Amino acid sequence: MSAPSHPLLDDRKLDFQLYRQMSRIRAFEEAAYRAYEAGEFSGTIHASIGQEAVAVGVVSALEPGDLVYSHHRGHGHALAKGVDPAKMMAELFGRASGSSSGKGGSMHLIDVSVGFLGSMAVVGGGIPMAVGTALAVHQRGDEAVVVVFFGDGAINQGVLYESMNLAAIWGLPVLFVCENNGYAISVTSEYATGGLGLVERARAFGLRAEAVDGQDVIAMRASVSALVEEVRRGQPALVEAMTYRLVGHSRGDPAHGIYRSKDEVDEWRLRDPLAVFAAATDLTDEERATIEAEERLRIDQALQYARLAPEPEPSALMTDVWGA
Amino acid sequence: MTTAADSEQLTATFAEAIRHALEDAMAADDSVLVLGQDVAVGFPFGITRGLAERFGKHRVRDTPISEAATMGCGTGAALLGLRPVVEVDFGGFVMLGLDQLVNNAAKLRYMSGGQLRIPLVVRLGQGPLGGFGAQHSTVQHGWLANVPGLAVCVPSNPQEAYDLMRWGLRQSDPVVFAEDLRLYRAKGPLRRHEAEITLGARIARPGRDATAIVFGHAVTDALQAADALAQQGIELEVLDLRSVSPLDIAAIGNSVRRTGRAICVSDDPLLGGFSATLAAVAGDQAHGELRAPVARLGARHAPAPYNQALERRLFPSSDSILTAVRELVQWGA
Repeated sequence: MSAPSHPLLDDRKLDFQLYRQMSRIRAFEEAAYRAYEAGEFSGTIHASIGQEAVAVGVVSALEPGDLVYSHHRGHGHALAKGVDPAKMMAELFGRASGSSSGKGGSMHLIDVSVGFLGSMAVVGGGIPMAVGTALAVHQRGDEAVVVVFFGDGAINQGVLYESMNLAAIWGLPVLFVCENNGYAISVTSEYATGGLGLVERARAFGLRAEAVDGQDVIAMRASVSALVEEVRRGQPALVEAMTYRLVGHSRGDPAHGIYRSKDEVDEWRLRDPLAVFAAATDLTDEERATIEAEERLRIDQALQYARLAPEPEPSALMTDVWGA
Repeated sequence: MTTAADSEQLTATFAEAIRHALEDAMAADDSVLVLGQDVAVGFPFGITRGLAERFGKHRVRDTPISEAATMGCGTGAALLGLRPVVEVDFGGFVMLGLDQLVNNAAKLRYMSGGQLRIPLVVRLGQGPLGGFGAQHSTVQHGWLANVPGLAVCVPSNPQEAYDLMRWGLRQSDPVVFAEDLRLYRAKGPLRRHEAEITLGARIARPGRDATAIVFGHAVTDALQAADALAQQGIELEVLDLRSVSPLDIAAIGNSVRRTGRAICVSDDPLLGGFSATLAAVAGDQAHGELRAPVARLGARHAPAPYNQALERRLFPSSDSILTAVRELVQWGA
């Protein structure tokens, strides 16, 4: 498979795809948030509004057979990997036809049929699993790359470094993608991270590593495109996407006012990934409006599907625990 | 499948039986691989000795001292259909990997609505080895039996170790294999067969007066106590559970209803320990037919001491079982 030609701006079809995917994630999370606020489902959700370019840029540079792990803020990764928004919304609603039959929820989105192997909600918890999956790929002589997304909250989890080391000594096809949105809930990455930061730490393990503008989907895609074939050949790598969430961590905190200033959030709003992309491409206003409307419609349909989807049978409580 | 070797009865130690089970499973199934520290040379207990030479270091993979990553790696490999056996030679070190085992391996099938299966086997050497001190002499079966999504096997002799390991390596969900370190050198008959093994308790010695509900090393202790008690006219039934999760509730009920007396033995502390679950089950199952209150033996509530005389006082023993059974039989007399 040859790498897509650069500069990517020449490819209008790709532009449509990237904008459509980011719009889908935005529409999904806005709709999910409204439904959640209206009390249509329980638990909590973690929106990635403002971070869409990371998910879309990374996944667009992969082959369909590549595998992805995510975390508690994983709607964008799931949608970018091709999970059906209706099945996903039904999962948020806890319904039987949800992607995990209503037993996983927003923080445990999993859809094996599209290679979205799972979202682990313990910070950093999915990282060693990606290494193990890459070991299985390697052991079988398959070609897949295993990508694991994690937030800056995981930068100081020990298991990240155990996992980087294991991937390095065994030469496994793992791409580590850190979405550094600057905050682990309220604690800043700057405060929490000693020394030279994640990229230098990764290089110390022998990984190829670089920081990328996470608001720029084209830069994200270009970075991963340039790394991924080496990763496929067993040279693990890391991308640190510098990004920002334009909303609170979860339902419990506002976008600004507690640990972030309005000015700071407003400044990042200017670098909203959809706006950054619009400015960089020649998609017309009309074309963008059409894509956005189509994706909003798709998500409205997903919402309707979720609302009408059946609740799990009571017997589902005790299925898929162990055995049989 | 039966081969000539199947019918041959050998004498093997508990440790050798586990090695034979791993070897036979690896020969039969290319997806089985071993992950752990020093597994290529088989240090410290010799369990995996020779496997790297036979199957290659890609299937008998030494790991760095990174228990969390190793456990997560086993889980992530199992999810694609490999059958990793993760070795934790001293079971207490599993604490470093518990997030991966408990939050990922045990829950992913459920959290995925059945999309994912994790055919992972985790070998834990647990219990006191004699003077290894508090951090190398821990007991995990009770904690892990408390985790939905894990099965916990507790073999008591070489044949059982072989059979349960072969069984574990045929499952599609995670199995913890809790090996009592004191049993590694214990010898017994062994057939390397490929019979269909099912879980469930077995009566290791029949008796009419009381039931010792035991597993792992305590089976040896209870059988010794039963020999001594028989000299005194007391017939102790020894019920070997073989697994603590799932738990063979019916077998406990059948035995205790027959004998009317139960003593439940587990090497974890009485407070919150597995003997409490066993006692509750025995009480529920045999209520109305009990001739004495259900008795329990567990560890005293202290870390394992280094001094071996003290260490022996911490855990149940054949003597403490014998004394407790005598008290049970005399109860109300």
